[in-house]
Parts: sequence; C-alpha cells; structure tokens
Amino acid sequence: MKRRDFLKASSAGFASTLLAGGGFLSWKSRAYATNVALTYYITHGWITQPDGVSVYFRGYSSSSNSLQVPGNSFVVQQGDTVTVTIHNRLTTTHSFKIDEIVDSGPIAGGSSTTVQFQPSTAGSYLFYDGHNEPYGRLVDLHGAMAVMPLGLDNRVYVGSPTFVQQKFWVFNQIDPVWHSNIRNRAIPSTPFTPRYFTINGLSGRPPGAPGHVDPAIDAMHDHETAVHGHVGDRTLLRMLNAGLATHAVHTHGNHMEWLTSNGQIRPVVWLKDIVPLDGNKGVADVIFPFEAPPDAWPPTSTGIYAMHLHDEMTQTAGGGLYMFGALTDIYFE
Amino acid sequence: MNSSKHGGGMGGGMGGGGGMNACYVYPIDPAQVPALDPNPDMIFERGIYMNGSMTMDDGRNVTIWGFTDPAEGGGMGGGGMGGGGGMGGAFPSPPMRVRQGQVVQTRLTVDMMMYHTIHHHGIEPEFRSDGVGHISWDVNGTYTYQWRPAHAGTYFYHCHTNTVLHAEMGMYGALIVDPPEGPGRAFENGPSYDLEVIWAVDEIDSSWHTLSWDAGTCGGDVGLNILNPDYFIISGVDGNQSALTDPRVAVTMNMGQRLLIRYICAGYLPQQIRFGGLTAEVVASDERPLPQSFLTTQINAVSAERYDCIIQPTQAGIYTVEIDIRHWITGQVLGTCTYAHYSHVKRLSCNLKRTINGQSE
Repeated sequence: MKRRDFLKASSAGFASTLLAGGGFLSWKSRAYATNVALTYYITHGWITQPDGVSVYFRGYSSSSNSLQVPGNSFVVQQGDTVTVTIHNRLTTTHSFKIDEIVDSGPIAGGSSTTVQFQPSTAGSYLFYDGHNEPYGRLVDLHGAMAVMPLGLDNRVYVGSPTFVQQKFWVFNQIDPVWHSNIRNRAIPSTPFTPRYFTINGLSGRPPGAPGHVDPAIDAMHDHETAVHGHVGDRTLLRMLNAGLATHAVHTHGNHMEWLTSNGQIRPVVWLKDIVPLDGNKGVADVIFPFEAPPDAWPPTSTGIYAMHLHDEMTQTAGGGLYMFGALTDIYFE
Repeated sequence: MNSSKHGGGMGGGMGGGGGMNACYVYPIDPAQVPALDPNPDMIFERGIYMNGSMTMDDGRNVTIWGFTDPAEGGGMGGGGMGGGGGMGGAFPSPPMRVRQGQVVQTRLTVDMMMYHTIHHHGIEPEFRSDGVGHISWDVNGTYTYQWRPAHAGTYFYHCHTNTVLHAEMGMYGALIVDPPEGPGRAFENGPSYDLEVIWAVDEIDSSWHTLSWDAGTCGGDVGLNILNPDYFIISGVDGNQSALTDPRVAVTMNMGQRLLIRYICAGYLPQQIRFGGLTAEVVASDERPLPQSFLTTQINAVSAERYDCIIQPTQAGIYTVEIDIRHWITGQVLGTCTYAHYSHVKRLSCNLKRTINGQSE
C-alpha cells in the first residue's frame, strides 16, 4: 500500500499526520484460503478543505499518530480468515462493522478489540463505525473491502465479465456543522447539508489551483483514484457511498458495464454512462472497458476524460469552487 | 492542454452578470486545436443567450440561459423538444438530430465576455471535442466540436463550464441520434415507433437564477451546494398548470400507435416516473439497447440518466403518469408531476410540494 503524508494538522496540541486512503492493494489470486491480518487505529484530526476551512475528522488510520481518511481499503479472497485489530485511540466509543459479515460491538475509548471473519460472498463491502450510526461513518470512519472469488483474479463474481485492474472509489459528503457536533459529542440537530464532497478522501484541484497535480491532495492526480490505462485495460471500479446523498456517477470517454448494485448481481449487464449510487452505504461495481472512444472522429485511442458526479452540487466546495468536489480523470494512455 | 487560472479581463453588463473575476476557466490553445474534417455531414451552429426568461404559472419570471441556433433567429427548433422560453431563446435549447455514422460538427460561438462549452452528453468523442474545460478548454469566441455517433439513441447536450450553475440555468437541449434507417426505430434493427415525445424533467431553484455565469468560481459561498427547487418543469414547461395543455409536453395518440418516450432526467435530483398503470417497454438506456428489454410501470432515475420507453395503450381511457422529484439526501418527494391520458389525448401537470430544510410546508 502506497501512502502519502500530505498534511500536518493539529488539534488541541495533538499533531496528526494525514494519510490519504482508499487505495488498492496489489493482489494475486490463490487456489486456497489464507489468513489476513490488519490493524487500524481510530484517530482524529483536522483536514483543510479546498476553501481553507479546517474540518474535524475521524479515521481508521494505519498508525496511532496519523489520521487517514478513508481507512486503507483491502482485498481478500472468499474463505480467507480475516483478522482485524482495532485500537481506539480516542475517548469516544466506536466499532468496526461490515454489514452481514462482522460487527465488533462497542470499542470503548482507549481500548482495543480484535474481530475475525471469513467472507463467503465475493463483492464490495463498506467497513464503518456502526456505533451511534451514522455519525461515525459520516466523519470518515469507513473504508472498503473487496472479496475476490476463490482462485480468480479477474472477475467480480464467478461468471462476471473480466477485468485487468481494479480500484476503489469511496465517496463521502461532509457537513462541517455535523462534524463539529460529533466532535463535541452532540447529536446533530440540523438537516444534513454537505458543503464538501470527496472521493477516496480527496477532492478536485483543477489546473491553476494550489495543489493541482499533487497526488496527496488532488483527486484528479491521485494514482489510486485517477484511472490510467491503455485500450483493453478493463478496469473494475468498486464504488461505495459512505455518505447520505444519492449520487449519479458519470464517466466520459466510455460507457460503464454495470455489474452489481448494493451487493446484488444485476441479471444482465447494462452499458451506462450514468450509474446510480445510493446514499447510506450504497455500492455499485462497474467495469470501465477502456475501449477506443466510440464517437471520436477521426478515431483515436488516447486522451483524458472526466469522471464526475452528475448531481452537480457535489462538484463544489464551500458553496462554490466548481471542480473542487468529487471528481477525477481517466487517462487513455 | 493549455490550462490556466483566468484572473481578469472579462467584461460585464450582459445577462448572466459580469465576469471580471472568473477563475479556473481555460482559454482555447490554438496550437492544440485539432483539424476538422472538411466534409462533415452535419453542422450545428450554436450561440448563447443569457437573458432568457420563463414565466411560471404563478406569474413569476425566472431567468433562463441557453443555446441559440443563429440560423433560426434565436433558436426555436423542431424535433420534439424545441422549447418555449421568452426573450433570449428557446428553452430547452434547440434540439440536435443526426443519424448514426454521420460526421457532425457543432460550432459554438460565445460572443460575450464569458466562457461556455458544449458537452454532448453520452457522445464519447476525441477528448478535445468533449467540452470539458479543465481537460481541454472553455470557449470564448468560436470553437468547433467534431464527433461521429456510433449509437442511435437519446442524448442531450449541455454546457460544461461551471456546470453546476450553467446546466441548472437551462443550458441544455436534446440530442437525438437516429439509426441508419432514420426515425421510426429506436435504434438500429430496434423496435419501431409511430410517434415520439421528449420529456426532459428538471427542477429549478429560483434562488440560483440571479447569479452571474462565473459565480463561485473564485471561491466564496454562493450556495451551489444546496439545491432547493421551487419549480418543476418538463421540457421547459411549468408542470404546475401549463403542462396540462401545452402541446410541447402533451401527446395525442390513437389506439394502436406506438409512442416512444425519450425520458431524460435533466435535473440533479433523483426522480421516479410512473406510467399511470400503463406498461412501458424499456428498450434502451443511456443510448445503449438493453440486452433484454423489460416491462415496467415505473422507473427510478438519477441525474442525466436517459430511458427510451415504448408505450402502446390497448385500451382508451384516462391514465395519470406521475414523476416524483425527490430530495437527494432524505428521499422526500419535493414535487410530483402528473400526466393524464384522456381517451386518446394525454395531458401532463405537476403539483408542487415545497420543502424547506427537509420539512414539507
């Protein structure tokens, strides 16, 4: 897992290192199950948003002195025995939960817990803080898990169309008022009104903006978020929505092959340039086929294309700053 | 591609406001402009208007922006979604209609001191013809997009500069690609239809409609993260009352005819269309034929999805089709459009339920 320190932030004397998460682990198929061990530290800190506002976050971080949002995503295989140790470095109670698979139960502040599970169904899953839902999840205590079919490294499920590379796109929406309430252990009483929108914890920085091209800040250039490939590099995109808003995921350049929705295999594969992604833990798996853009004249096989959410409010930050929201780019190389 | 923060030099005074301080718009780099096919099959000319207005059923005028067709004197187009609109131009913008396999050029002229683009949504062209500013450029002056559609179906086009605002202000129009055999089939070797209608269902937050074209681009909170619609429209017609009789929305059909509904979720919020008990055969979505068409009485859609649906009533009568526009977070129904079919005449209306901060009034 490649990690990047990209911001030093502090809160009440607590210095934290912020790491971008949501990345993809290189992974090889196995004909057998194995043991996988992971460790997360529940930490907190502040992240500066594109308009300069600092917002409080919590994360499943990879070390006790860092803040990482979302937590490192990971890939396992059907039948693996997955052991996750969670150290709660905060004073508040949290948990580690994957719907229908594992629930740590409350992890009191300052304590640690280990959970173990054997995922049996291939697919894409959100892990999150299930304690005091949905607040921990919304302040970024979440991440993604992929379960590969046993012995297969190029299919989402047995019989699915094939892919050659895969990525996680974990979306979230951020209401700083709610984040502040949660920090202060108060239940938010105002309507959820997100002002920032992220993909893998990052947001866009268009050309000319501070941080443009910096993969630690710019979702258009984060190598774990932006999609690079040549024609034929069929790319599985595991899209998960930790937030509350319904999204419309739109790719330019190619239509997507829409394979699953909320854990269900779609009976037939549709080709879509818009795929719905439900709020509140919605999941969709699609393959971006990396075919030559079909309508180019003269024909071409290279170029840069956008991915953005078509619920365009998500393309803003702080009520303006178009292109500083949840978007990335797709590179036909 | 040329990319720069544009920090000045823009004039003001037009509808849509001035623009001396636009940020993150990207002028054309002449050295990177690709050559054009000298023999295109079709050329569309498009200008822009920023001083349009739409008179709502409550008597209020709401500012509308859009594209014009200069050859038609401001842009009333045919083809099913030639919109209405007051001064300025048609709303929705004049439709484009081409045939699969044609080489098409769209020449956009922006002769005001501002930037716009055209993104042919669903068309997947060479990237400099995609109309996405940060990847290629925004247009001030004239720029020609070139594309050759490989698939028939229901597309639409819209501005992709400060998109969150410009598309909401009305800068969109229908784009129909007919199969090689021409109109009458949904796609090549696809199902036939006798008549068609384009329903572009959209919501308007009138509080956004006083902003300038570059609102928010340099920062500052102009409220573009909050969409609280107070009007619900279908193909540029206020759904409150006007759509009950407006021929741009209403459809008259005879028993036995096959109607192709080209449904475009043109707003940003989730929608649900219910066909009033009629069963629709959904044959395509996002201009790709479905591997298996399916029969349904309702469709859920999110922003910019398109569905091609064929309805062939087998019994005369009165049917009511409803389209809910739902809050993107709470799922609460904000407005409901209803559509009635009286014997062989269909009528459409929208009823609005205002929602303030998630609470119904």
